[in-house]
Amino acid sequence: MWTSIGVSSVEVLRRVGCEVEFDKRQTCCAQPAFNTGYLDEARLVARRFISIFEESKADAIVSPSGSCTAMVKHYSQLFAGDPKWLPRAQAIAAKTHELSSFLVRVLKKEDVGASWNGRLTWHDACHGLRDLNIKSEPRALIRNVRGAEFVELEHADSCCGFGGTFSVKYPEISVAILDQKIDAIERAGVQAVVSGDASCLMQIGGRLSRKGSKVRVMHLAELLNESSQQ
Amino acid sequence: MNNSARESILSSIRTHLAASPPVDAHPVNPVNPVILSQEDPVTRFKESVESVSGHCIITTDTADVLSRIITDLKARRIANSDNPPNAHDIFGYEVGISTAQAGIAETGTLVLDSACERHRLVSLVPPVHIAIINASAIVETLGDALTLLQKKEISPAITFITGPSRTADIELTLAIGVHGPQELYVIVDGSK
Amino acid sequence: MNHLSSETFKENARAALADVQLRGALKNATSLFGERRKEAAAGLPNWEDLRTQARAIKDDVLLHLDRYLEEFVRNAESRGATVHWARDAAEANQIICGLATERNARIVVKSKSMTTEETHLNDALEAAGMQVVETDLGEYIIQLAGEPPSHIIAPAIHKTRQQIGELFTAELGMPPTDNVDQMTSTARAKLRDRFAAADVGISGVNFAIAETGTIVIVENEGNIRLTTSLPRIHIAVMGIEKVIPRFADLDVFLKLLPRSGTGQRLTTYQSFITGTKRAPADEGPEEVHIVLLDNGRSRMLAHPVTRQSLACIRCGACLNACPVYQQVGGHAYGSVYPGPIGAVITPQLMGIQKAAQLPYASSLCGACREVCPVKIDIPQLLLHLRGEISPRKGSRAERLAFKMWAKVMVSPALYKMSGVAGRILQRVIPISRAWTNGRDLRPIESKSFHDLWSNE
Repeated sequence: MWTSIGVSSVEVLRRVGCEVEFDKRQTCCAQPAFNTGYLDEARLVARRFISIFEESKADAIVSPSGSCTAMVKHYSQLFAGDPKWLPRAQAIAAKTHELSSFLVRVLKKEDVGASWNGRLTWHDACHGLRDLNIKSEPRALIRNVRGAEFVELEHADSCCGFGGTFSVKYPEISVAILDQKIDAIERAGVQAVVSGDASCLMQIGGRLSRKGSKVRVMHLAELLNESSQQ
Repeated sequence: MNNSARESILSSIRTHLAASPPVDAHPVNPVNPVILSQEDPVTRFKESVESVSGHCIITTDTADVLSRIITDLKARRIANSDNPPNAHDIFGYEVGISTAQAGIAETGTLVLDSACERHRLVSLVPPVHIAIINASAIVETLGDALTLLQKKEISPAITFITGPSRTADIELTLAIGVHGPQELYVIVDGSK
Repeated sequence: MNHLSSETFKENARAALADVQLRGALKNATSLFGERRKEAAAGLPNWEDLRTQARAIKDDVLLHLDRYLEEFVRNAESRGATVHWARDAAEANQIICGLATERNARIVVKSKSMTTEETHLNDALEAAGMQVVETDLGEYIIQLAGEPPSHIIAPAIHKTRQQIGELFTAELGMPPTDNVDQMTSTARAKLRDRFAAADVGISGVNFAIAETGTIVIVENEGNIRLTTSLPRIHIAVMGIEKVIPRFADLDVFLKLLPRSGTGQRLTTYQSFITGTKRAPADEGPEEVHIVLLDNGRSRMLAHPVTRQSLACIRCGACLNACPVYQQVGGHAYGSVYPGPIGAVITPQLMGIQKAAQLPYASSLCGACREVCPVKIDIPQLLLHLRGEISPRKGSRAERLAFKMWAKVMVSPALYKMSGVAGRILQRVIPISRAWTNGRDLRPIESKSFHDLWSNE
């Protein structure tokens, strides 16, 4: 739904020397169904994901989403006790990486040649942080963005309140949690909030815009794709 | 007593466990203890007691320290765990004196064992508790104290005491002195 | 008592969000608890090893729960304790009321026990004609206020000091003040003579040691020691999952529980009670009774994911870390067990029908899992419960929506069309007010990433 994230991810990966392919048959990692408790439907969609990516000869599957990557890692739960699909799920999961984790841990790159002028901060998306242990990698990448002044957000690791269907099943609680995050962002006095998950950015961005804030939200891939020419 | 309930519960446990998919058992590996301080246990014990708002005096003349404390408190009704007042009368006493069978340096904890003395009310009801402990009875860690206690049969009532009584039930604000003593004095007897 | 119900969690939460005083109290309490816990955990370099060890011990106990329970009972009984087994809440209450009545008890003092809140023991005792006095300060406060507890370890945390001061003035005749020390001494004075007059003392149990038949109870105030030393009868109530194998295992659990609960290295008092006193002239109760409660716990043993619920040592750390609990507090959950652990054990203990909303009241952020001293994977449990509830109890519209969603996601042609459809729909139909009441909605772009890739 947010095309510039995909576009930026591809361009950043190419810039650091990767050959990138995109299988147009892909649809979804099945997270929405899994999280809402519709496991049969989730398995249907997850099997398709696994089958499609099995055909690829690529060394790695990279996703600009911590929560999608975490979902793929959870396929072993989804297919627990399934002798046919469990090994296939685990094989795919082993090859799947979130973008910042791939750049820093696998490619050992912390500087992708980006530049962006301004003061910004980072929001730790929950799945990336707690399921995938992604914490130092995005910060390392951001610190190498020329011209960017990075400030650590108060309670950067607190949930933004999205939680998938939680945000529409319990909207008032979702917004109450969100407002703690918004207050911290306003106190940080930044021009942009960066995160690794589009859903957090939609949640945070949606509230910032409703409040008439000038603070913009950016996906990490978009930031890393910024250069001084723009 | 109520054997049918017992059998029913045990049977329910067994049935549900049997229905469960098997899991890999994780071995229970002992955790290596971490000694956080190079200080001698008695010094560390004193610091720990004071960190929880207790008073700690190291001395070779226990009788003298004891009488000074009691004089300063202007206390007259003093209960002793050698010969404690009964449960009804003890509420009228101002000070309770007991010994402690062991102390834990890392936390400033006193270990009181009912097999050795009648400490349960003397160390609890009067608003001031004075505990006397031999320096040699102070061990480093909680684990050490538990090991010590298992050297003989566990007595009916063992009590660990760390500081005077307290609560934070109102707005998480610390208040010292709730149902147990409001003041704790620990006299460490360094003689011998 | 005016208890909110789990079945109306959504409405309860909405009301809680509108309560400014409550939200202020919650913010202060949860952040203080959180900071203290963090500092206390950091003070132990082997904290992570301890968590792993504790979980391994609990897993072993739960896999052999029948054996460890029998060992505990054998050892407790050989030392003089009388053990009772209660299949459910009603049976537990019946046993305890029976004991009290048979011994002509009139006054019962209680120290804090979540298990007795679970069974609504106080109501049963009062119906049997007893006067029941809660002696833990937080429990005393909510008893006076006629409210249920809102937190596992700090029952009155939802109240400000001003509210408590006013309550004490109204109910106890205390001169008006909001000074905490004065309120505490008022409670101390009022409760003192209750301890002395009580016939029966009822406590909970933190750990029951199979190897020695010992029950271990931890506290800061001294009311547990008074409750278990003064009255001639002591009744200890415990869930069957409280048993741990060896006396030495206490080293691990006594390091984890106080630090996780209140940020202390140790609480002021630990009472280790093994059977009854040896001689009649000794101090202590004449009779020690231990009531073992099942009430749905044995059912949870049937699956590794649900079994871990029983590893809980009731520290409350997950409540303090939870962004949902931080906003709405404990009463909204309508259960004596609120917050993340409450969201998973309440449906399992009370039945899914009674608490179907609770497993969905979470953003799955995982903060609870991070702070749990026994490494319970609460998000995994929540998802497991959602997997049980949604296919059967999800609204027809929702079940249908996900069936359709799956069909679209496995068909490239339908998927392509859905993007177009979505864009049209978003312009024509107002998106759920649930989202747009507080947030703007980012419009779906006219060209999808799939489209752009085609043009490469």
